This record gives sequence, structure tokens and C-alpha cells, in this order.
Amino acid sequence: MSAEQTSLLQGTLDLLILKSLIAGEMHGLGVSRRIQQITGGTFVVKPGSLFPALHRMEEEGWISSFWGDSENNRRAKYYRLTKPGRKQLEAETKRWGRISWAIAQALEAS
Amino acid sequence: MPLFAKFQGFLRNLFLSRRVDADLDREVHAHLELLIAENIRAGMPPHEAQRAAHMELGGIEQVKEQVREQRLGNWLHSVFSDCRYGLRQLRKNPGATAVMVFTLALAIGATTAIFSVVYGVLLRPLPYADSSRIMAVFEVNSKGGWSHLADPNFDDFRDQNRSFQTIAKYNDYVVSVSGASQPTRTAVAHVSPDFLKVFGIQPIAGRDFDASDAKKGAGPTVLVSYVYWRQHLESPRDLSQSHLKIDGAVYSVIGVLPDGFRFPADVELWMPTDLEGENKSRTAHNYFAVGRLRDGVGVEQANRDISAIARRIHDTSSEQGDYLLKDGTVVPLQDSLTGNARPALLVLLATVGFLLLVACANVANLLLAQASERARELAIRSALGAPRGRLIRQFLTEALLLALVGGGLGMLGAYWGVAGLVGLAPQNLPRLDSVSISIPVLAFAFVLSAAVATGLGGFTAARATSGDVRKGLEEGGRGQAGSQGSQRVGRVIVAAQIAITLVLVIGAGLFGRSLKKVLEVNPGFRVDKIVTMDVALPWVEDPKAKTGQAMFFSNLIDRLKQIPGVRKVGAISGLPLVEGGLPDGMFLVMNQSEIPKTVDDFGALQQQKERLGVADFGVATDGYFQALGIPLIRGRIFDERDGPNSPHVAVISESLARDRWPNQDPIGHTIEFGNMDGDLRLLTIVGIVGDTHEYGLDAPPRPTVYVNLFQRPSAAITLTMLSDADTRLVTSAARGILQDLNPEIPARFRTFSQVYSASLGSRRFNVILIGFFGIIALLLATAGVFGVMAYSVSRRTREIGVRVALGANSSDVLRMVLSQGLRTIFIGVAIGVAGALALTRTVESLLFGVTPTDPLTFASVTLLLVAAALLACFIPARRATKVDPMVALRYE
Repeated sequence: MSAEQTSLLQGTLDLLILKSLIAGEMHGLGVSRRIQQITGGTFVVKPGSLFPALHRMEEEGWISSFWGDSENNRRAKYYRLTKPGRKQLEAETKRWGRISWAIAQALEAS
Repeated sequence: MPLFAKFQGFLRNLFLSRRVDADLDREVHAHLELLIAENIRAGMPPHEAQRAAHMELGGIEQVKEQVREQRLGNWLHSVFSDCRYGLRQLRKNPGATAVMVFTLALAIGATTAIFSVVYGVLLRPLPYADSSRIMAVFEVNSKGGWSHLADPNFDDFRDQNRSFQTIAKYNDYVVSVSGASQPTRTAVAHVSPDFLKVFGIQPIAGRDFDASDAKKGAGPTVLVSYVYWRQHLESPRDLSQSHLKIDGAVYSVIGVLPDGFRFPADVELWMPTDLEGENKSRTAHNYFAVGRLRDGVGVEQANRDISAIARRIHDTSSEQGDYLLKDGTVVPLQDSLTGNARPALLVLLATVGFLLLVACANVANLLLAQASERARELAIRSALGAPRGRLIRQFLTEALLLALVGGGLGMLGAYWGVAGLVGLAPQNLPRLDSVSISIPVLAFAFVLSAAVATGLGGFTAARATSGDVRKGLEEGGRGQAGSQGSQRVGRVIVAAQIAITLVLVIGAGLFGRSLKKVLEVNPGFRVDKIVTMDVALPWVEDPKAKTGQAMFFSNLIDRLKQIPGVRKVGAISGLPLVEGGLPDGMFLVMNQSEIPKTVDDFGALQQQKERLGVADFGVATDGYFQALGIPLIRGRIFDERDGPNSPHVAVISESLARDRWPNQDPIGHTIEFGNMDGDLRLLTIVGIVGDTHEYGLDAPPRPTVYVNLFQRPSAAITLTMLSDADTRLVTSAARGILQDLNPEIPARFRTFSQVYSASLGSRRFNVILIGFFGIIALLLATAGVFGVMAYSVSRRTREIGVRVALGANSSDVLRMVLSQGLRTIFIGVAIGVAGALALTRTVESLLFGVTPTDPLTFASVTLLLVAAALLACFIPARRATKVDPMVALRYE
């Protein structure tokens, strides 16, 4: 929890959620923990940002949801990547690559 | 597919919102459970685990709200919920809501009704194809006024202009028509053959005029209105057998005009001009003119074109003098028809706009008071995650609900109001028939309501949500601090309201005083107990036939005198106060040896300025002066001596005697006024009578020359009967007598009081409406003062209680509250007086006998308003003195 609070750009949050779901279906807390894990604890996604993003992405058709049982038998809402979601992930990845390359260039310039 | 999915999502969010919400609730709770489980696994004690989970989640409701915020169709959903919530709010304060809705309904309704008149008269396009291209053309006379066109001038305009596709002349009269179902007095127009082409219309049956119909000696033809065709001719398809006898001549009906075409206003029949040949004089102003502009030609261009032609005529004409045109002008027909009505209507619109502002001020104050009552609620909503935008939208929604309900009721009211307005409106208001609640009027009312809602809602929201809303939580507990700010705003509003009301009521006062001054004018004649009867015989030229007509009138007058109750009977060629009035012209002072032989000699004599005089020309009988009580100042009026073959005599009005013959006795002088009726015999002045305000009470008396009906016959006269008997009895007896003498002649009866009353119509209309708006504004402003003061006292209950507990007595409290109110009132009055001083000047032309800064009006209205406002302050102030300190202190 001591990770520095990095504010997430909206597009970045979408990308991270899509990326974490590629590992398989998981519930909201799972997504949150997964992001924390894959970013080495840099990004902590609060429920206040996570849930609006999940619902928005579901409305976009990138992910779908269903109710399932959690590892210790609790009911939880699970999310999984859809086909348009995979496409979106590819597109977002490419876009992010371009942006980070461009920013890196910009910072290196004298 | 994604689009379809989105749409599905939208519909689901909209219609299954309960299920969607329940799902969200379960999800967030499940998330919390998972968090707790995770914490417990990490080794936390249960209640610690729960606390940490709640901390991380950050509030179930906030999370849910954030999800809802970005849902598809959320805006629509939240509009619904704002409306639901707004309605609940409005229902919670039914009294205040009713007052606000009623106030808005009244103001929006009144504004809509007045706008419908303004729109119908001034703005609505004339009902002709491409009507904005139809222009009226006038001569401009030596005084800069617009005048009718003389025949040769019109011909030059028509033949030399490069701006008009078509241009036509016309004028209108009332004539006697027989040959249809019954004889009538009917309005007819004489028009040149292109008249209908200017308006882009064609007869629906038969044919239009062609050039040969309007030549000297052509067979008389006539076009009839659709209504006339249906009502008087029994709608024949075949017009070949339809004839009308108009002023004694037989006219063939050649065509029927489309339903609704009535130009000039009220005309039923159109006949060609110039059947008698054109008048060659350039100073005989007999016609109006209308023209349709060529494509691509603007009003300005046409104006320069006509003006150039007119100045050329002015420079080259042999008929130099005051009566020759100096210039020409072109104005859109619509403007020329409604120009006279414009200032008064715009004043009415401005007045009702002020009323609307005053009403909105009251509603704004009520809304502000409610908003400060709701400070705690706002604080809670804000704390629960509602952004400021959402709170503002809530206020806007509530104001919109109020304004739409109020506006809807107002439109219903306007629907009836317009009928009332049309009934109340003066008969000479042009285009009254096009006043109705039409689509543009409804659109206006709707936009007005929306604007009112935005203004009120935006204002309240800005006030209520400014600063840190959450402070309301602390403040609400104590329930009075901070509301200081909103009370100050309330007082500013009330001061503005007082200022506007003062302007409005001062305006009403000035118009009311003007009407009173007009009514105080001595018209110079009696108004009551006079029955008038318009009779017109066919127009004849032959002197013998004219004498015959004079004999007919003489018989008629003798018979009318025998009606029981009738004391005096007279006749005049044009009744005072009736539009049109007597014709005016130039006369010449001369003696017997100088009598001109021809009209041309007359023109030459007119060049001798010292002979000239200008006066109205009236044909009358001695009984006219007696019936109307117009006093004889000196000399005599007509009597038996003045037969057709004895020397012709004239009676002149006092002002003419004074102005034309200063320091002389005009009696015995002879004048030539034959240009008015074609009889060149000199008139000997035998008497001087009192002045009459012939052109309206608010117009100065006109210099008038009266000639004797039995020497100078006129075909159309109005009989005036002074009678003590019941008007209906006199009317039916007179009708019987006329029938008996000649069943083909129609008559029109009125009482002179009706004529008198109609002549004040537009002034009375303004006074009634502006007075009505003024009273409403006064009531609203008083209510506004009362509301703000009562509210202020109720918010200060505790403070007053403390003061009383510390020893203030009731007069101290009274003084404190009243002085606060007085400050507001005086600021409002000061601004209002300044505003009125600046604004009343703009209505100067509509006033009569009072200056725009009339001190009496200003003083009495200010006093009235201050008194009303003080009374409104006094009641809450009295209540403040009754505050029991114990109750007040325990109050919280």
C-alpha cells in the first residue's frame, strides 16, 4: 500500500485492465491485484476508478461479465476478455508503444 | 455489432435500471467481502479487517455513483431522477410552489398575449406572395409629411421608375350599393388595372381588370370580395348576369377575389379608376400607391429612384406652391400600414416585459429562500459525492419544471387573453384580424419560459452552491449564519423590483393622467343624446340633380323633426371625431368683381399669397349647430333667407376668424372656396361659431368654413338628431322615414357617444393595459417586500430574542426591522425615479397635457409605492416585536 500514488491516465487504465485479463477471467479485486503485481506495485487501482472502468469497457463490448464462485467459495462477478477486447488490447498496445517511444525521444532531446 | 450492443446497453440502463443497480450493489458488496477475506487471510483481526476493507473501497455509495455517472444513457436517467426529485421538492412546499407557478403563469401569459398582438400587427408578414417586396409609395409635401399622390405624379412614377415590376394607385370610399340582396353602405376601392398584380393574386372566378377597363368612358366593371359574392350575390358561378348599382351607375361584376383578400382594409368591391378621366392637377392628392419591387432591387434603391423622379417634377412643374410635392418616398407596405400603431404597441411590450421581470424577481426570492432552507440537504448530497454540476442541474431542473408548468398555464391564459385584447383593442388598430395564438407566438412563449427557467435556476444555483457547500452541514445545525448572504441578495432583488415597478406605475400614471386631460378637453360640442345617421345619395354632377338631392334632405330633416322626443335635427358632411373628417383646402379672399371663370384662373389667383387661407370645408345645416350645441359667437347661422338662388353664405370657426382676420371683423368678407365642390360662387361670411376638436380631443381645433347644405348640396351627409327619447325608438322611426322616402337608400346609425368613445379607443386601450400591468406589478412588488422581510425576521428570531432578553423594547425592535426595510425601499425608489426620468421621455409623443416628468405623477406614484412597501414591512416587523425571548432562545 505504500506504493507511490501514480495517477492513471484513462487510456492507460483500460490498457492495464485488458492486459491483466489476458491471463484469464477474474473478478474486480483480482484485476486490481493483478495490475498491482504486473506493474511492480507502481499502480494501485482504487475501486472508485476500477468499477466505472470495468462497466464502461463492458458497455464498449471489450469485456463480458458473469457471476461465479471465488477461490474460497464466495459469489463474485467475473470479467473476461472478448474478441473485440483482444483487438482493442492490440491497438492500445501499439498506441502506447508509439507514445512511450515519442516521450522517450522527447526527453532525450537536448 | 458493437453499436447494437451499445444500444442494448442503453435500453437496459434505461428500462431495467433497478435490476442493473441491484447487480452493481451485489458486485460492490462482493468486492468488499473479498477484501475482508483477503485481510483476514493476511492475519488481521475481523473488525480491523473490515475497517481496512472499507478504507480501501472508499464508500460503497460513492463507488456506485461513479459507475452510474459514466453509464450509457446516464444523462437521460439522471434527468428523470432530477425531475422526480424536483417534483418532490415542489410538492413539499405546495404553498410556495403554487405562488411561484401562478406568478409565472400570470407574467408569461400576459407577455405572450401582448406579444401575440405585436406579432400579429407588426411582425407577421402580410398574407401575400413574397410580401416583403410590396411597397407603399408616397409624395413628400413641403412640410416633410407624406401625402397622397396626384394623378400626373403617379403617372410619372409609374412610367419613369426602374425599380418596380408593377405599381398601382388606389383609394377607398364608402358608397351606396344596391342591386344585390339589399341596399348597403359598402366600402369600395378605386384601383388602377395592375392593382391585383402587385399583390400577386388573381380572381378565383371571372377575370381581372385589363387596361381598357380603366379608361375614360369604359363600361363600368367591378370585382367583388369572396364574402360579398357569397353573402350578397348568392355565389353565382356565371357572373354574366351579375350587376351592381353603385352610386346610381350600373356596374358589371367581372370577377371574384380569393377568400381573405381585403386590401385596403374592409373593402368589398374594387372598381377601376379614371372612368371620369384623370385629374390633370399635380396638387390634387387623391391616391395611395403600392408597387412590387423588381427582383434584386432594395428599398433604398427604389427610394432614390422615386425621389429623383419626384424632385424632377418639383423642379419643372408650373404648379409651384405648398401643395406641390417636394420629394417622394418608398416604404414597405407593412410598415406604412402599421407605423402609427408601432409606438404604442412597443410601449405595451416593454411594459409587460417589466412586469415579467418583477414577477421573476418574486420567484427568484422564493427559490433563494428555499435554497437556503436546503443548505443542509445540499451539503449531504455534496458529501455523498454529487459534483457541483449535478447540484446546479438540480436547481435548473426545478426552475424548468416551474417555468414549464407556469408557462403552460400562461399560454392557456393567453389564449383567452388574446380574445379579450382583440375585443378591447381600438377599432383603428390595423391588422387586428391577424392577431391570434399562432405557432411563432407559441414558440415565443416556450423560449420565454425556457429563458426564465434558465435565468431563475442558474441564479439560484449559483447562489446556493457558491463557496463550500459542505459548510452547510455545520451551519445548518445553527440555522441562521451564512443566510446573511442570501438575505442580502434578496434585498437587492427587492430593491430592483421596486425600481422597475416604480417605472411601470409612473408610466401608467402618465398615461392615465393623459387620458384624464383628454377627457377634460371641451370638445366644443355636445356628445350625449345625439343619434347620428349616415345617408349617402348617388354622386351627381348636374346642378339641378344636386338641388334635388338638397330638397330630399330637406324633406328628410323635416320628417325626422316630427319623431317624438327629437328636439333638433341637423346635417353635416363629416362628423367630428370620425376618421377621415372634413376635407381641407385653400380658399381665396376676394370680392365679387374678381370671380374666376375657370379652374385655371383659380390656379393663378392662388399664387397671390395675401389672398390665401387654409381651412376644412364642411357642408352643414343650421340644425347641426343647434343639435350639437356649437355656440354662435357673432353674426348669424343659416336661415330661410339663404335659398339656392340667394347669395351663398358661410359660417366660420372662431380660430379661423382669429388667425386669418386678426384685428378685423371677418363678417361681410367674401371668399372663394369653389375648389372644394366645383361651385365658383363666392361665399359671404355671415357668422362665427365656436371651435370644435374635429380631429380628436387631443388634436387642436381645426379652422373650418361651413357652407349651407341647401346652397352647396353634398351627396353624403350625416344627420344629427338631439333627442330625449330612447335611441332604439328614434333609430327605428328614422329608418322607417327613410324607407318611406326612398327604399333604395341605406343608412347607418350610431350614437355620438359611441363615436366619441371610439375616438378615445387607443388611448383607453393603453391606459387599461398599462394600468392593469402596473397594479399587478405593484402587488407583486409588495408581496416581494413582504416575503423578504418576513423571511428575514424569521431567520433573526433568535437574534431578536437575545436583544429583547438584553433589554430592547418592542419599539426598538420595530425600528430595527423597519429601518432595514426602509433602506431597501429607498434604494429601489431612488433607482426607479432615475430610471423613470430616463425612460418616460421615450413615450412623450403618446402623452397629452402632461410632461414626461410630471411632478404630480412622480410624487404620487412614489408615495403610493413607498406606502405599500412600508405596509408590507410593517406586518413582519410587528411580528418581530412579539418574539418571546424564552421561546426564541429555546427555538434551536
